[in-house]
Amino acid sequence: MAMIIDDDLHEFYFPDYGNTTTTTTTTTTTSASEDELCNWNDWSPLMDWEALSNGQDQDFRGLFESIMDDDNASLSQLHSSPELYQHPSPQLHEDSSPELVMINHDHEEILNNSEDTKGLRLVHLLMAAAEAMTGVNKSRDLARVILIRLKELVSPTQGTNMERLAAYFTQALQGLLEGAGSKNNNVLLSGPYNNRDEHQATDALAAFQLLQDMSPYVKFGHFTANQAILEAVANDKRVHIVDYDIMEGIQWASFMQSLVSRKDGPPSPHLRITALSRGGSGKRSITSVQETGRRLTAFAASIGQPFSFHQSKLDADESFKPSSLKLVRGEALIINCMLHLPHFSYRSPDSVVSFLSGAKTLNPRLVTLVEEEEEVGHTTDEGGFVGRFMESLHRYSALYDSLEAGFPMQGRARALVERVFLGPRIAGSLNRIYRDTERCSLGNYLSAVGFQRANISFANHCQAKLLLGLFNDGYRVEELASNKLVLGWKSRRLLSASIWTSPELDL
Amino acid sequence: MFHSSKKANINTNMNSHHDNRGMSACVQGDSGLVLTTDPKPRLRWTVELHERFVDAVTQLGGPDKATPKTIMRVMGVKGLTLYHLKSHLQKFRLGKQPHKEFSDHHSIKDGERASALELQRNSASSSGMMARSMNEMQMEVQRRLHEQLEVQRHLQLRIEAQGKYMQTILEKACQTLVGENMANSGYKTDHVSGIKEYGHHLNFPSLQDLNLYGTDQQLELQQTMERSSSLDGFMSNNDPNICIGKKRPNSNYTSSSTGKSPIIWSEDLRLHELTGSAASCLGSQDHDPFKGDHDQIQIERGGDMDSAADMYERKPIAGGVTIDDKKFDASSKLERPSPRRPNLQAERMSPMIGGGMSRGTSPFG
Repeated sequence: MAMIIDDDLHEFYFPDYGNTTTTTTTTTTTSASEDELCNWNDWSPLMDWEALSNGQDQDFRGLFESIMDDDNASLSQLHSSPELYQHPSPQLHEDSSPELVMINHDHEEILNNSEDTKGLRLVHLLMAAAEAMTGVNKSRDLARVILIRLKELVSPTQGTNMERLAAYFTQALQGLLEGAGSKNNNVLLSGPYNNRDEHQATDALAAFQLLQDMSPYVKFGHFTANQAILEAVANDKRVHIVDYDIMEGIQWASFMQSLVSRKDGPPSPHLRITALSRGGSGKRSITSVQETGRRLTAFAASIGQPFSFHQSKLDADESFKPSSLKLVRGEALIINCMLHLPHFSYRSPDSVVSFLSGAKTLNPRLVTLVEEEEEVGHTTDEGGFVGRFMESLHRYSALYDSLEAGFPMQGRARALVERVFLGPRIAGSLNRIYRDTERCSLGNYLSAVGFQRANISFANHCQAKLLLGLFNDGYRVEELASNKLVLGWKSRRLLSASIWTSPELDL
Repeated sequence: MFHSSKKANINTNMNSHHDNRGMSACVQGDSGLVLTTDPKPRLRWTVELHERFVDAVTQLGGPDKATPKTIMRVMGVKGLTLYHLKSHLQKFRLGKQPHKEFSDHHSIKDGERASALELQRNSASSSGMMARSMNEMQMEVQRRLHEQLEVQRHLQLRIEAQGKYMQTILEKACQTLVGENMANSGYKTDHVSGIKEYGHHLNFPSLQDLNLYGTDQQLELQQTMERSSSLDGFMSNNDPNICIGKKRPNSNYTSSSTGKSPIIWSEDLRLHELTGSAASCLGSQDHDPFKGDHDQIQIERGGDMDSAADMYERKPIAGGVTIDDKKFDASSKLERPSPRRPNLQAERMSPMIGGGMSRGTSPFG
């Protein structure tokens, strides 16, 4: 019989099988009778192994060879997974590969190895695709082929973290390749994975709820900023907060509650919030700014917080004019800038910079900034596109891992969050990296234009740690640079919250 | 009680402790006498010396495995006698223990004394920090503890506020969705049907969602939880049910009986990291001062999640939220498999907390 086994396979010791049956899960064993020790049909009821193996050896051999040429990953059970995916049977895609590769469920190490090696293989393929797109030997065709291969291997809703992540990265790269990369992320949203426009709003809401529950990112950003603001306005009668991207206004609900429940000190100050709204479409916020304002007003009324809400429209090019704000004498001005929380869309750096520079002219009491934290040693230019691509891959991988670690069973919930928020963010992130938009750290910018660092208080740091204590062990909070708390997963820093003040003025 | 006797033991008669372990010491011999009156030159446990000691102990497999004799051999420091090592080792060992007995039965005052003692012992054993006065350190620790408690309390309220607010958003969405659903017929996606359920289970919509995606065990637990929720008035917080990334679904859900804030403060609160310098003098005895003062912060490693639930349920009382104590007691008895202490402690706690909060200006304004 045509044995397609490579010699490499003999390295694996399958004690129950003779050499003839060491073909991993590929059905080169033509008949069940040969596998006295193993009935393939029992292993994978979805696949009719016998039917598959009849008379198709030639195809398999060809496939094997092509696959062996394709990448240099370990040539172990990976032989099996690709062509099984290639097989037209739709049921194949239901199973994740490790199941199929599980020849003998006693060999758990092999099982794990296959997952890892598959993950590694995906990473290699992604890297290769990225290189093909921008590297020295730039070749769009090669990139295209690699992406096709990748698409066959992964699905955004099934498989391991790495597989799902790779699916989104693949899609993002696809988008770049086809030149769909414009500022407007909506184009990428309508990829094959995101075809549910009519459910978008409810999906987004559900996903946001889930994201909040499953991970501390949102709360970390909000609470750290809120605590800093509370401390800064301890004795003020009027507080005015200008929020760059208010989204649903969740941050302020909690803030108002804190104001109302202050024990000592003056009664709750009058709170005014001005939210910036963007004229154009293409934002993914679940609710409009107006709606948010209404909700916040109602909420404030329900807890007895004096409150008023304003909107300030940004220009078409999203630049900020300080004159568009209505300021009142004697109020404490706070600038709140939440970027890069997992459910946020990327804002163009120009817009943010214009906002912050405009804010500087107003001499705010405090500026709170939450943004992505770059990994130490990785400057924005290092390694070019591929380098930043890989960094992005690692970042989102950490994000996925953090979600999974807390909720290993809720795969579908996580898949929803990934589809609604993380997928489009990956696309947007790659978009910006590809077009070489400088991913500047806004903290650096603030420091450069003259804002001063404000210390993170013990209470704030304590709160962050307590918050993380509610979640999985892998989360870490560090205090960097005296005015910044950084939230990370395991060893990867993900999100930073920093606070700044205007330099002292001579009054 | 056992606890106080142990203290007495430690305080006055270290020797008997040694004897219990049956060590063959050259110096000791009799009980009590030699140790306390022996005019030996006092050994200063400097930082380096202590570090060497710790190294040796680690080499030997930990404070429980190491014996003064072996330590002496490993350290190889001239002039170090078994006597020195014994007492130091004992202090070190005590420093390592979590002192679970404390939480069982003691009043607050005892706890405070205990924590002060721990401080004393630790500072004496960890390094030569004799310069700093005991009182200063103790006060610092107390202050930090109070602050931490405040932070915890406020964090809970803030998370709840967020949850309440999310409720309003979800309700709105649910209404519009129900309206749409009448119109459309072809809703196929599972998670959308989950959102529909928001209208029915407003108390725990997120959990409902997860049930759709997730495991059976959570579904059961959630149902028990909903049934036992006695406070419909409270808009319960969505987050905490899910925030429990630990593998303890049972104990996690028990505390939700109040329906208010079923956040479980995991045993890994790592509060020892929180109090900077104070913690360093506490060494690894991080849990004890907290236990002494505030039962609220139940940080028992690998320990009882119930006590964490305890702590959490008491918070509303301390915060002035009206929860029917009777209901609270009954439900908590129902849920918790092994209550660590009678619920009377709750009342005793509140004045303490009340006192704590009124002390000075808290950073929370």
